[in-house]
Amino acid sequence: MQTLDSKIKRLLAKVQKPARYVGNEWNARKKDHATAAVKMALAFPDLYEVGMSNQGLKILYDSVNNIPDMLMERVFAPGDDMEELLRAHDMPLFTLESWKPLAAFDLVGFSLQYELSYTNVLNMLDLAKIPLFTEQRDEEDPLVVGGGPCAFNPEPLAPFFDFFILGESEECLPEILAIIKDLKQEAYDRRDLLVRLSEQEGVYVPSQYQPVYRGEKLENLEKKDPRVPAVIKKRLVEDLDSAPYPAAPVIPYIQAIHDRAVVELFRGCSRGCRFCQAGYIFRPVRRRSREKILEIACEQIAKTGYEDLSLASLSSTDYPHLDELIEELDRALSGEQVKCNLPSLRLDSYSIKLADRLHRGKRSNLTFAPEAATERLRRVIKKNISEEEIFSALVDAVEAGWQGFKLYFMIGLPTETEADVEAIVDLCSRIRQYFRRKVGRKISLSVSVSTFVPKAHTPFQWEPQLPLSEVAYRQEIIQQGFKKMPGVDLSWHDAETSFLEAVFARGDRRLAPALERAFSLGCRFDGWTEYFSMPLWRQAFQEAGVKPEDFAQRRFAYNDLLPWDHLDCGIKREIFVREHQKAFSSDDYNQGETI
Amino acid sequence: MTRIRFSFARRDALKHISHLDMMRLFQRALRRSELPLAYSEGYNPHLRFNLAAPLPVNVTASEELGEVFFSGTVTPHRFISALSEQLPEGLILTGACSEDYNAPSLPSFVNAALYRAALVAEEGCRVDLSQYRQALERLLAREEILAPRTKKKRKKTYVNVRPYIFEAYFKEPVKDTPLELHMLLQAGSKGGVSPFFVIEQLEKELFCECNYKAHWELHRERLYREHEQFLQPLSEGM
Repeated sequence: MQTLDSKIKRLLAKVQKPARYVGNEWNARKKDHATAAVKMALAFPDLYEVGMSNQGLKILYDSVNNIPDMLMERVFAPGDDMEELLRAHDMPLFTLESWKPLAAFDLVGFSLQYELSYTNVLNMLDLAKIPLFTEQRDEEDPLVVGGGPCAFNPEPLAPFFDFFILGESEECLPEILAIIKDLKQEAYDRRDLLVRLSEQEGVYVPSQYQPVYRGEKLENLEKKDPRVPAVIKKRLVEDLDSAPYPAAPVIPYIQAIHDRAVVELFRGCSRGCRFCQAGYIFRPVRRRSREKILEIACEQIAKTGYEDLSLASLSSTDYPHLDELIEELDRALSGEQVKCNLPSLRLDSYSIKLADRLHRGKRSNLTFAPEAATERLRRVIKKNISEEEIFSALVDAVEAGWQGFKLYFMIGLPTETEADVEAIVDLCSRIRQYFRRKVGRKISLSVSVSTFVPKAHTPFQWEPQLPLSEVAYRQEIIQQGFKKMPGVDLSWHDAETSFLEAVFARGDRRLAPALERAFSLGCRFDGWTEYFSMPLWRQAFQEAGVKPEDFAQRRFAYNDLLPWDHLDCGIKREIFVREHQKAFSSDDYNQGETI
Repeated sequence: MTRIRFSFARRDALKHISHLDMMRLFQRALRRSELPLAYSEGYNPHLRFNLAAPLPVNVTASEELGEVFFSGTVTPHRFISALSEQLPEGLILTGACSEDYNAPSLPSFVNAALYRAALVAEEGCRVDLSQYRQALERLLAREEILAPRTKKKRKKTYVNVRPYIFEAYFKEPVKDTPLELHMLLQAGSKGGVSPFFVIEQLEKELFCECNYKAHWELHRERLYREHEQFLQPLSEGM
């Protein structure tokens, strides 16, 4: 009899990147299974390099493993070579820390960051030999739980999950695990356990709710048990200073996409861009104190040896007295050769000044996201920045020595017209000309264009996504436009992946059969262009009898019951309605349809 | 100002990572060690650190070498105790010595590497040594063994690597131990050949269909430098 360990060693010699699966990294926690009262596998449905760049994963890993009798181990979606080997040798998916199969854990928790990782979720359950559907699982199977941004509309995943945790879980997950530990001894059966668990704030047990449809419309969501709440409130961390935060994060051996120390300056964002889900579901804004930031930064650098430190948040330059913080960090880390950086720069002079102060070395490109090219459309999405401000910020950046810019735009935003799309080309052309003529400098410009995906819990949640054919037409306008502008590097998101994202982002339980079908047909890593297959997805939708357009392109009315209406993100419906109406009543908005 | 040359072993637990991963691992461990590191000048200061020769993925090693520069005085003893604490399972410091600050860089000395490849068969499966010996003879008798080299811009060229195989032989097997191939291969800046490539070529020379349930486990014994036309272990004098 070969042990699983020796079998795994064989496989490792045959895969392209074995270090994705071995674990044993610096700061990884190896806890004893025998003495742990609750064991949880934290599953990230994408490759190791992607998952290890996720800060939420590192926070949860720390918050659970810091509790003496609890244990959390990591598992990532295996690459296609590893999946093939696991299936060929009939071996179960295993965690990095102990190389134990997922079935050996009390819970398997999925981090749901992105709709296009859903087929990977099913694949990982299948590879772990855990029944896909909650109703097929029994007392012996781990509880399958989901959390993260996608848990704010988890309906397409409902039949596959035993429960979801709504909101920020670093404080409540250890609590919930402790309750599960007790319930496991008390509860009558798995169903009873889940119902009793649902009494915890933030816990959503989808199997206890029955949607009722009339025609295409969701008419009602009936509770199956009187004990489950009618509305599930999200959990949130009250005070970031006392919330768990990793002082010694795991350092990957292989290069992760983001491989650096990260301190979160604040959670939430007060800007309120109307397309941005993160801007709403992470409200209210909670700041970490300067002292705490310094303390975490110094400890992380000392315990990791990282050379880069990221001051992260949804809009870091909004942190008050940021320049003083940077000053203090400089002093505290002097001699350590640490480079600080700010993600998500805003297009204003203050941000450029900070970037100038932080950035050492060659200044190639600065990245900004104006999102829309006309002031009118920027007002609709509440990305309030004037063209004058854009130009003056760009001039500052060029004067500080940057060679060019990368600009992010979206197409398909509500109220967008052809003129708005043409304006993207026009704006870029004017930026180039401005620098060539007035400043006498040739700048490099790269432009990235994605497609708008309406998301739940945003003011645009009622809005349809632009039909695929129309997206293709608008992409064509942009491609043709930039053809006449040599030297501009244009990239765009595949319209079909954005379409699929939209299907699931505002989808409901009727999509679950199509998802399962897609997984069976072999769909994996749908967010990766090299794996994504629209023909397979079309087949899956057809076989499941679902029209994906009905989901991506449906317009909800204010009085429609939304699939996520029972999930409370902490923001009143009236605010979304008000913001939605404001978007369409912007002073100079006088075209397009109104509701 | 000090320059320390050190030797280390890499065990199974850490054999899955690449040369660049090893470089990052050492640099971060050094930065955690609180030793007075020396950095290069310029906009992007780099830690002054070298590994003698890239160790391929899935290869363990007994005697690898590296060097670090310090801005202050560091004794070999202090170096070993401070860095050892920061190294993960599977990476072991085996020695250290001071080195002339201005001597040429460590990688420039490397000339050859000695590998040991074990053919580990699954239970109940026997590997025929004579078949392998004959295949090796045929391989070594060739005047030319072409290895592809992909240069930048997708241009594929071929290099004759036969001269890079200094020596290769099967060790006389002791009872119940796996078949073991020893290879002394050229390495370093003047060109080299991957031990995996040699094994791949060897298996192509096997006449019988190789359906053994077996896999190769590779180990690098040591690195060599050229010294008065002879090969001398790079660790000599440490």
